[in-house]
Amino acid sequence: MWRSGRGALAVLVAALLLAVAGCGGGGSSSGKTQITVWEGYTDVEGNAFKKLANEFDASHKGIDVKILETNNDYALQKVLTAVRGGTPPDVAYLYGSWAPNVAKIPSVVDLTSTVKTKAVNWNDFYSGERAVATVNNKVIGMPALVDNLAIVYNKVLFQKAGVAPPTPQWTWDDFRSAAQKLTDAATKQFGTSYPADASEDSVWHWEAMLWEAGGQILNSDNTKAAFDSPAGLKAMTTLKQMAVDDKSVYVDTTNSKYMDLFNAGKIGMLVTGPWDLSSVQVPYGVQIMPAYPGSSAGHQSIAGPDNWVVFNNGSARVAAAKTFVTWLTAAPQVKEFSLATGDLPTRISVGTDPSVIKQMNDKLPGLKVYIHNLSNVKQARPQVPVYPKISEALGNAIVGVLLGKLSPQDALTQASDATNQALSSGS
Amino acid sequence: MTTSTTATAPAEPRFRFTRPSPWHLVLIPLTFILLVPLIWMVITSLETEAETRQFPPVLLPASPQWTNYPDALSAAPFLRFMLNSAVVALVVVVANLVLCSLAGYAFARLRFLGRGALFAVLMATLMVPFQVTMIPEFLIVKWVGLNVWDQLGIDHLGALIAPNLATAFGIFLLRQFFLTIPVELEEAARIDGTSRLGVLFKIVLPLSLPAMATLAALTFLDSWNSFLWPLIVINTESNMTLPLGLTTFQGSHATHWELLMAGNVFSLLPMLLVFFAAQRYFVRSVAATGLKG
Amino acid sequence: MASATPTASNAAPPARRTGLLRRFSGSEHAVGWAFVTPATVLIAVFGLLPILWSLLLSFQKSDLLTPETPFVGLDNYKQIPGDATFRLAIEHTIVYTVLFVPATMIVGLLIAAALNRKVRGISIYRTAAYVTMAVSTINEAIIFMWLFEPSFGVVNAVLNGLGLPQGQWLSSPGQALYVIVAMTVWGWTGFAVVIYLAALQGVPKELQEAAAIDGAKPFTIFRTITFPLLSPATLFLAVWLSINALQLFDEVYLTTRGGPLHSTTVVVYYLFDQAFQQFNAGYAAALAYVLFLVILVITFIQFRVGNRFVHYNR
Repeated sequence: MWRSGRGALAVLVAALLLAVAGCGGGGSSSGKTQITVWEGYTDVEGNAFKKLANEFDASHKGIDVKILETNNDYALQKVLTAVRGGTPPDVAYLYGSWAPNVAKIPSVVDLTSTVKTKAVNWNDFYSGERAVATVNNKVIGMPALVDNLAIVYNKVLFQKAGVAPPTPQWTWDDFRSAAQKLTDAATKQFGTSYPADASEDSVWHWEAMLWEAGGQILNSDNTKAAFDSPAGLKAMTTLKQMAVDDKSVYVDTTNSKYMDLFNAGKIGMLVTGPWDLSSVQVPYGVQIMPAYPGSSAGHQSIAGPDNWVVFNNGSARVAAAKTFVTWLTAAPQVKEFSLATGDLPTRISVGTDPSVIKQMNDKLPGLKVYIHNLSNVKQARPQVPVYPKISEALGNAIVGVLLGKLSPQDALTQASDATNQALSSGS
Repeated sequence: MTTSTTATAPAEPRFRFTRPSPWHLVLIPLTFILLVPLIWMVITSLETEAETRQFPPVLLPASPQWTNYPDALSAAPFLRFMLNSAVVALVVVVANLVLCSLAGYAFARLRFLGRGALFAVLMATLMVPFQVTMIPEFLIVKWVGLNVWDQLGIDHLGALIAPNLATAFGIFLLRQFFLTIPVELEEAARIDGTSRLGVLFKIVLPLSLPAMATLAALTFLDSWNSFLWPLIVINTESNMTLPLGLTTFQGSHATHWELLMAGNVFSLLPMLLVFFAAQRYFVRSVAATGLKG
Repeated sequence: MASATPTASNAAPPARRTGLLRRFSGSEHAVGWAFVTPATVLIAVFGLLPILWSLLLSFQKSDLLTPETPFVGLDNYKQIPGDATFRLAIEHTIVYTVLFVPATMIVGLLIAAALNRKVRGISIYRTAAYVTMAVSTINEAIIFMWLFEPSFGVVNAVLNGLGLPQGQWLSSPGQALYVIVAMTVWGWTGFAVVIYLAALQGVPKELQEAAAIDGAKPFTIFRTITFPLLSPATLFLAVWLSINALQLFDEVYLTTRGGPLHSTTVVVYYLFDQAFQQFNAGYAAALAYVLFLVILVITFIQFRVGNRFVHYNR
């Protein structure tokens, strides 16, 4: 009895496998060059990107773009495994913080000469984007996305607490005293929130403050930590005063609650990026980040640009991939994508176009502050392969201060030691 | 056929034949606690996008958004993903039932040279985290696809199936259960001239239906929810499985919780069906042991 | 263990010595290998080979980026003793395992015992237990992050209502690991229940009934008859839960990411961080092999202890 059962089973298995095998695959026949693009766009962005890819296919008859939507957070694991297997995608969307390490992959195509062509108009990209795409004078990607940080505040809570809304002249002292006034222990209302999962999200908020205080992350030749400085202490002390002394900060240790609480009227203001605006459900305003009085650095922000990275799968596909990313990041496409999605324009010519700014801001009020704020992105994170280690050390220092477990100076000393050790043993 | 078990249950005389209600008083709250995640999922799947972002979390959506389900399912070719998941899971389950019961029986009952060592080696494969073995496994699957059969290679469903056809987990589970079966039953059959294979299929397996059903349900679940390996191996949308498809609701910065949860509920239904199907065998085998006594 | 149980006759080993099996022992080698070979070949190719490969990797310097992976001998291993974070990770992993494994087994056994009876609608209850496994980890993570939220969470609200001190939970370096224990016990309870339920089906009702007629109390019956018969399943659970606990990753990745201040950094999270965030794949492989040895030793001990206490029918 079992024998006939096994026979039937084998037939079933074979049939299923064949049924599935018949549907999969797809070749690059008919003389077209097929390129694969791995990207993490979903929802509105996903649709806008697919539309662009279709437009490209229609206007470039020799090239066929095949898109694979894969979650950005897992992109690196997938790409690295594929690189090891010798089958990387032709184009991948990769986070900017990975750039110094991505640059080490031999199959990553050097785009330095490509960006010098007139068609690319490289200097039309914001300087922060160009800096992140360039590692050791080698261009390893084309800017895919740019963000920055600004204040998003709850107008109702400000009014109730009798606090004047943030102005472009705000200092961190103004921010602190507003946060204090917005805090009410009885109703569990907090002045502001800070992402405290020790991730790069915790770190880049602080890096912007460090720059505003006139500090630097590393020294000029990237050999030593420079953040253990008066400026660094000033930035770290601001966090300590607000979180520990005033208790006006909702310390979001899992970096998952601040938006829900902001919408519930439990948090007065956030320092966050433009991607959060579409989630806000309360009457809100947007203002650039505060500055430190007396610091020549003035108002700054930080950009987290991401890149389109091209991989080498033979000259024909490299050429096709270069054509695609050049087209994709050209002004008309940047404009179309920004208008459709609300993502900040990656090009200056688009970001300074009044009609673009107006259309985007009409769709999502406050976006124009972020677009203008792109000019406050004056610096980029250091392009060193050990940056993940530096980020981890700073992340833990920041969380230690926010939780009251470390003094600002101890935190800086610890992070600085770890950074110097990483740099000296480095890459 | 269940006479022996129902008619004589004096172990808890107080509850015999009376309304079973006292136990429901324990079981209902217990079940509720266990079901909280599922209830949460279902509630979230019926909320508006704004409700999913509220605090405190919404416990009863103002008006259930049934359209979340068609919306979620139309966001990607989910029926295709489900078919892929089903093919992979079914083949893996059936193969595990066959291969692991053979091996599990040998480890439980047969004295063969190297048994202890081989069992230890198989167990050892469970002890190295996947994060480290992932890339070598990828390279092996790629090699198999190029040199053995292309349907087992990268970007094919075979790549999701082949590495999971037999698992040390399944062998270990069944070995432990086979060891509890009275050996006298087998010996009687062996005297009658039944082969080892015959003993396994005619005596041991019918007595092990709860264990087999458990293995089937657990293997199905493992395959159905598998995420990281398919993520690494599959590069074509038409070959994606359900968990990969569900990431379409998780953007870099914002997650569509209502759609994600609707998709999750959709993905959960086949797992519940499988478990309901497995339930039958739990009951049947109670009858089987009853017959024996 | 066997002294008081009426199963002793069932379990008596002398039956095997009567020669029946002896007579066939010559062919048992062949039959045994024939039975295990299909599964063994598959596991060797897709399970063992990658493990040996990663052992090789642990003697190399590899960043996963450059193709050059020079052999560096024991360099990766020599780094380990000086790695303070890894020491912490080992500590956290062991504390976690020691709490998680027994808690899951006890809760699972109690629920399985409660579910193992003829009650109308019992299959619905059993399915509920199974559902806890089927629901993906991310749902559990979301719910626990809300339940244990320090300012607004349900747990603190209840404690406050009872006049008890509240906790900072996932925001506290001293408490976060315990929240993860609670969360994973909840997530794995269904697994333990399903395994114990299946095992309970093999416990002959007649034995329990006979003992009950003799006047034994329900707890005595459970302790002397049921529990010994469940011991193979208990060993299975102890081993399997330990192997998984020592390789905890998903729940940490989805909630605390090892924080706050490394307080939930467990070994596999740390080696993931080393491999895919710090680009030290060779070092990560070495860490994996240290963990492998730890798991191996613990599993070995479990089997040795198990062989003494586990009640098998053979």
